[in-house]
Amino acid sequence: MAGEVNGKTTIRILLVDDEEEFVTTLSERMEMRGFDASVAFDGQKAMEALKTRVPDVMVLDLRMPGIDGMEVLERVKKTNPEAQVIILTGHGSYKDEEQARRLGAFDYLQKPVGVDTLVKSIQKAYQQKIESAYAAEPSDESQSPQNRH
Amino acid sequence: MNQETEKTLAFFGRMTANLTHEFKNILAIIQESAGLMEDIMAISPLARDKYQERFNNSMNTIKNQLQRGMEMASRFNRFAHTPDHNSAELELGETMVHFCTLTERFARLKHITLQADSQKGQEIKITTNPLLLYMVLFYSLDACLSVLPAQCEIRLISAKKDENAAVKIACTGKQAPSPEQFFTGLRQSNAWGELENTAAQLNAELKCNTDDLCFYLILK
Repeated sequence: MAGEVNGKTTIRILLVDDEEEFVTTLSERMEMRGFDASVAFDGQKAMEALKTRVPDVMVLDLRMPGIDGMEVLERVKKTNPEAQVIILTGHGSYKDEEQARRLGAFDYLQKPVGVDTLVKSIQKAYQQKIESAYAAEPSDESQSPQNRH
Repeated sequence: MNQETEKTLAFFGRMTANLTHEFKNILAIIQESAGLMEDIMAISPLARDKYQERFNNSMNTIKNQLQRGMEMASRFNRFAHTPDHNSAELELGETMVHFCTLTERFARLKHITLQADSQKGQEIKITTNPLLLYMVLFYSLDACLSVLPAQCEIRLISAKKDENAAVKIACTGKQAPSPEQFFTGLRQSNAWGELENTAAQLNAELKCNTDDLCFYLILK
């Protein structure tokens, strides 16, 4: 769930990649842009992180040791379907993109990606999450997504 | 396209896809580190002082990744030239180091360590078909990776065996299978069939040590 800092909504993101320097640096840059970012260095650790803190948006690499990104995506969409997943990978096969989108990935980005492109994608994914949550709730016309967040 | 050409292209496809993935990771790290420095420079001078250490770390990361990128680029270039000649003189130990650097990521993805080694540091020169040699090494590695569990180690050792140049492929690990299970698994893997075919084309003999997890590629 998104948290609040000084009354402002902060989007919780989980960055998952086995390239530790990449994901740590990206996490710092995301923090500087107001996101509440955490990192996991492989699929197993990402699944463990989900038990304690479900992110609004997960940015996930595909090729990782142990549980690979595609399997993490599949599991996340079963256990925490509300979490949006953006694939960020150096592996550019059309087949992978097709499979990731079929499994419910919100976006599929290629490394290296511009930070502004990633930020925009995260914001759109978060918006999608809010809209999905609103659509899933019992009808209550007095509340709109904007009122609640 | 005949079957052999298809196999060769498939081998090149897997190798180049693996290497371009590594390049993208390197570029992504350089981009993020440079971007972080840019972010830091954009904030106030006071904050810049606060982030001085992080700034220096980012500079070092960029330098290290550039070094890594340049090394991968030169190894990739060398690999891309392997089909140029049917026969070339190679130093076997150096070739093992080169091969292991190119393929280390395949092992890393399975939490397996891959290492090149040489017998007493001796220099072994061979004249062989470089592409076929890389293919037999690749299939050997692929077969081992299909059988070994995580935390094992694969060592490619350049050696002399019965006066011939040889590559010893030795596997170890606490969770490693028994030699019987290991060799049964190897022989059942797709890569082993490809290894036998390609070794025959290279005129290399495959010799298995049934007492431990090791086999030889004897280059004649």
